[in-house]
Amino acid sequence: MLDADVEVDRREFTVRADLQVAPGERLALFGPSGAGKTTLLEAIAGLVQPRRAQIELAGRVLTSTAPPAVALPPWQRRVGLLRQNPGLFPHLTVRDNLCYAPSAPRPGAELSALASVLGIESLLSAMPARLSGGQAHRVALGRLLLARCDTLLLDEPYTGLDASLRRTLTDLVSSLVAERSVPAVLVTHELTDAQAFADRLAVLDGGEVLQIGEPDEVVLQPVSRRVAELIGYLGFVPRGALVAGVHPERVIAGDIPDRGLVLTGVVAAGRPAGAGWEADLRVGEALITCRLPDKPPIPGHEMVVTVLDPPWFGADGKAVPAPAQSGRPAPEQVHRVPGR
Amino acid sequence: MSVVGAAVVWLALLGPVIALFTHLSGGAIVTALTSPGALDPLVTSIESGLVTLGVLFVFCTPLAWMLARGRLPFPRVWETGVLCSLLLPPLVIGLLLVFLVGPYTPIGQVLAWMHLSATNTFLALVIAEVYESAPYYVLGAQAAFASVEPRLEQQAALLGDRPRRVFRRVTLPLAAPGLAMALSIAWARAMGAFGAVIIIAYHPAGIPLQIYTTLQETGLASALPYALVLLVVALPLPLAAYIWSARAGRRRRG
Repeated sequence: MLDADVEVDRREFTVRADLQVAPGERLALFGPSGAGKTTLLEAIAGLVQPRRAQIELAGRVLTSTAPPAVALPPWQRRVGLLRQNPGLFPHLTVRDNLCYAPSAPRPGAELSALASVLGIESLLSAMPARLSGGQAHRVALGRLLLARCDTLLLDEPYTGLDASLRRTLTDLVSSLVAERSVPAVLVTHELTDAQAFADRLAVLDGGEVLQIGEPDEVVLQPVSRRVAELIGYLGFVPRGALVAGVHPERVIAGDIPDRGLVLTGVVAAGRPAGAGWEADLRVGEALITCRLPDKPPIPGHEMVVTVLDPPWFGADGKAVPAPAQSGRPAPEQVHRVPGR
Repeated sequence: MSVVGAAVVWLALLGPVIALFTHLSGGAIVTALTSPGALDPLVTSIESGLVTLGVLFVFCTPLAWMLARGRLPFPRVWETGVLCSLLLPPLVIGLLLVFLVGPYTPIGQVLAWMHLSATNTFLALVIAEVYESAPYYVLGAQAAFASVEPRLEQQAALLGDRPRRVFRRVTLPLAAPGLAMALSIAWARAMGAFGAVIIIAYHPAGIPLQIYTTLQETGLASALPYALVLLVVALPLPLAAYIWSARAGRRRRG
């Protein structure tokens, strides 16, 4: 169990979070660049000094600012941190890198078994400079696992790798986390990476955890307009005192009132996107973007679309239950509020 | 054309070395090196050079590390201090050392109380060599440490290494080629130290002073063999360090 209640002062704002990650659970910290995601991981790893913190891992207190104050140095924390730069020691072979940690076993059966799981058994005698980016990440991951870290913290590790390799590595980490039953935290600013990895998703912005929950819950029921914007809701359509959030991928063509909010707009622009089309639609004052399988009408023409069960927000930006006139009874809404 | 131009400049830079070899005769070398006591300055130079390297390594390595890692307040002030000692002409260093460690100074009196003297002694020679070579070592070692990625040290700590072990297992091996280069440059400076040496350590004579006194007493031709000795002593270490650090770099690049 990783239990981190942390406040770290940064120049622009204070990063605050209270996270609990169970053994074998995978939490994704999602947020824009500069939201404080890395700072949180560094506080858990003991690399930055928190203003106030209570961090526990596997029954040990790593940091406590309340008396009796505790601040274990990084080398006593058994926290595995994997960054974008895998940080292999360039003067050591892959084998020596894997067995670097004092707590790692001597090269032997365990090393060979892990190397074959990671697909690096033919590289053990190579120097890190010879490895490709993906191989280097596999070695770095293996090094953390052999060090018997009590948690894995992944700080945007796969930025810069291509999508299929990223997916392979993410799956590999997921299975190893489950097998070893350690809590894992992935920091990312790619929502799809977060969804592919995580059991739970926390949205961070300006140092605050805005929402934490299951990935589909967070994506479909953002607790605030700000969360919706971060998740990728591009259009916000006013309806009376409320605003409906429109995600480009939650729009279908046609008038289907029992599936959500029906909107009539004027096509402002259309362009190919992936295997389908993307259209900008002007609905009153608002501009919404939708992903459609079929080619939209040419600009200037009217188009009717249905926004599938959009989230609704009040004037204060907070999520509210769907109004009755949206065509169907409001779905049961569960909003988890961050904090205890 | 550009290769020819580069070759001309290169040969011009090597000119003095070429001149040395074209003006040496085997007989002169044998005569010079077999005369009684001719090799004493060589021994003196090597001994004082080794002590100097030891002093530099023990005292200046931590300073260089702290400079490289920004562990010191007002880093510019510290760096300027090192640069000052680099920019002082050796002759001036010698003059000032008289005022610092000469017999009538507080330090000189402390030394006298310990039955030591920093004037015309082996200790004086070492002090002069340290002052002439230290800034080269500090700046080189600082660059060597600065080239070690701090994230790697952080990673080593997270894997369970205490700072001392991180230094031994990561920082030092990664900085070693640069440190070796810095140390060998310091060695060459110490071997050739003359300006400060001639003022506070005329005795015991090392090779540079031997060259100077031989030149004064018997002329150019008889001084040349000692110049060859100085080169032979001063150059192998830097060359070896250069070759080793190039090989270490190749190995790391794979």
